Amino acid sequence: MVGVQRESATAIALLMLCLVSAIAVVYSSHSCRRFYSALQDLEIERWRAQAHYSRLLLEQSTLASPHRVLVIAKDQLGMSTPSIGTIRVVVE
Amino acid sequence: MSRRHIQPVEPSAWRFWWLSLLLFSLGTLLVGRLVLIQAIDKDHGAGFLKKQGAMRAVRLAEIPAYRGLITDRRGSPLAVSTPVVSLWANPQHLSGSDRLEELANALGSARDTLEAKLARYADKQFMYLARSQTPDQARRVLDLGIVGVRSQREYRRFYPAGEVTSQVVGLTNTDERGVSGLEKHLDTELFGRAGKKRYLKDLHGDAIRDIGVVAEARHGTEIALSIDLRLQTLQHRELQRAMVETGAQAGAAVTIDAWTGEILAMTNHPASNPNSRADFNPEAARNRVMTDAIEPGSTVKPLLLVAALEGGAFTIDTLIDTSPGRMQVNGKMLSDPRNYGEISVSRVIEKSSQVGVTKISQAVGHESLLDVYRRFGFGAKSAVGFPGERSGLVPNREHWADIEKATLAFGYGLTTTPLQLAQAYAVFANQGLRVPLTLLKRSTNEPLHSERVVAPDIAEQVLTVLERVTGEHGTGRRARVAGFSVGGKTGTVHKVGAQGYIDDQYLALFVGIAPMNEPRYVTAIVVDQPVGDDYGGGAAAAPIYARITEGVLRLRNATPRIEVSSEIRLASLGAEQ
Repeated sequence: MVGVQRESATAIALLMLCLVSAIAVVYSSHSCRRFYSALQDLEIERWRAQAHYSRLLLEQSTLASPHRVLVIAKDQLGMSTPSIGTIRVVVE
Repeated sequence: MSRRHIQPVEPSAWRFWWLSLLLFSLGTLLVGRLVLIQAIDKDHGAGFLKKQGAMRAVRLAEIPAYRGLITDRRGSPLAVSTPVVSLWANPQHLSGSDRLEELANALGSARDTLEAKLARYADKQFMYLARSQTPDQARRVLDLGIVGVRSQREYRRFYPAGEVTSQVVGLTNTDERGVSGLEKHLDTELFGRAGKKRYLKDLHGDAIRDIGVVAEARHGTEIALSIDLRLQTLQHRELQRAMVETGAQAGAAVTIDAWTGEILAMTNHPASNPNSRADFNPEAARNRVMTDAIEPGSTVKPLLLVAALEGGAFTIDTLIDTSPGRMQVNGKMLSDPRNYGEISVSRVIEKSSQVGVTKISQAVGHESLLDVYRRFGFGAKSAVGFPGERSGLVPNREHWADIEKATLAFGYGLTTTPLQLAQAYAVFANQGLRVPLTLLKRSTNEPLHSERVVAPDIAEQVLTVLERVTGEHGTGRRARVAGFSVGGKTGTVHKVGAQGYIDDQYLALFVGIAPMNEPRYVTAIVVDQPVGDDYGGGAAAAPIYARITEGVLRLRNATPRIEVSSEIRLASLGAEQ
């Protein structure tokens, strides 16, 4: 009788393990799907960020183009390149 | 177990065996079928089924990769790939749609145009609706959700500096491969190779999970050039301005840092805007600084000086009798503007005296002169490796007429690119060491692999003479820059036409070094066919040199040679305390 009881206890334990592992499979495949969809979102976001970044780069280089800086400095701010007579060398 | 207590009954036994047999054979049939499907790959077997399944659920997707950014030495972008979206449609799905009006509005075109296009592509499965749209523009169209309208991601290359860097940076084609300039030369590094991945999709076409990466995406490398965009813009502006002033057809300018071999600026005229394919002009695409081999004229006379000084028979103060200001070689008259009389070797170069140069070259011999030319890099491509770069020609033949030996010293009968001229002068600025040139930014700890081509004391003496050329009596007076001492050499060359040299068409050249107290920046200027009386190197090219060099020295923080103000020093120290 003790032997039979031990056998059925083992069987129940195995059954439980089987159940646990089945649920684990379900769980992991579910999280796989979830992470994958998150990954896809991130990839799309990266693509958008890249698009945005390169647009900003272009915008920045247009705004900071040496030619534009020169025109603004000269015409709007009334600046000019210092002539050699107005330059003083300062020794530190 | 309970069977032990029951006596078997005949009919039941039969029934039992029949049933067992039936169940057994059904089982065998099932297992057999399973084995057939799962294990044995015959027609409609395992392989077939796997393929069918994959056809319905497995898809390949592209992993996008970007072409590398090209920046100048300070990080300003010169070539940027930006994602764009091209909209396309299946005309067979779209034609007859009742939302064409809406679609045309979103695309910013007329309904008639769209319908005409649909009619034209009526028997096709694919047509572009709009190419290279910004993602926002495309989103507005796609959000309408019109059946048959689809999008595809692409990249477009933009050149923020436009025509200022157009010949150096070059162009890419629609597949984002470099076709000219550095885009071509550095294509392997810059190209972003799109990867591929396999994924499982569900019934609605949405990806469920990745199965695996078939090919890894490889993004292009970001490359920093040795070019300084500020200098490049300045050089471009001054060159354009000079083209208007001199009425010249074309021009080229290059500035290099002699200590590091880096090319800081390189511009050409004409130039065109690389962002507009419609403006493309092959003449304006050429990077003349490297692709045009020209006769360098008098700008090579400092190299004759090297040959003369190395021979040991001359110093820069040795006197040469140039009277009566002309001499005949092989029946050809070589003459100076006037009789200079007995002048020093240094003055021969300063005045660019034909008679003096001929006498020196006769004493030196053409072989040692050719040797100097080769050592200074003539006749061989520079280390830059630019597409279409020319090596120029240093003649290599057995028999030389006296006149050929003489004109070789004047810079005729050999060709060099403007870059090679700058490279040769950089040797003087770098105490006789030749540093391989580059268009890529060098890091400060990179070994330079420089090569000694001339002794430091000879380089020093040549610098002394070059500084005198821009002095009060020299031909390069107009190359002077306020606050700095500069040195250089002018050159005026007859252009070559179908009938030989053309009498009234010239190339004006100037190659200079600055600042002479700490020689570092070498700039070469070529003006192609200046109009009017100011056609010479001293009149047409030297002023451009002066204006460019003034900017180079300012932007590179060279210290001007003016009196140090002690008052300001005290005042600023006082302010800090």
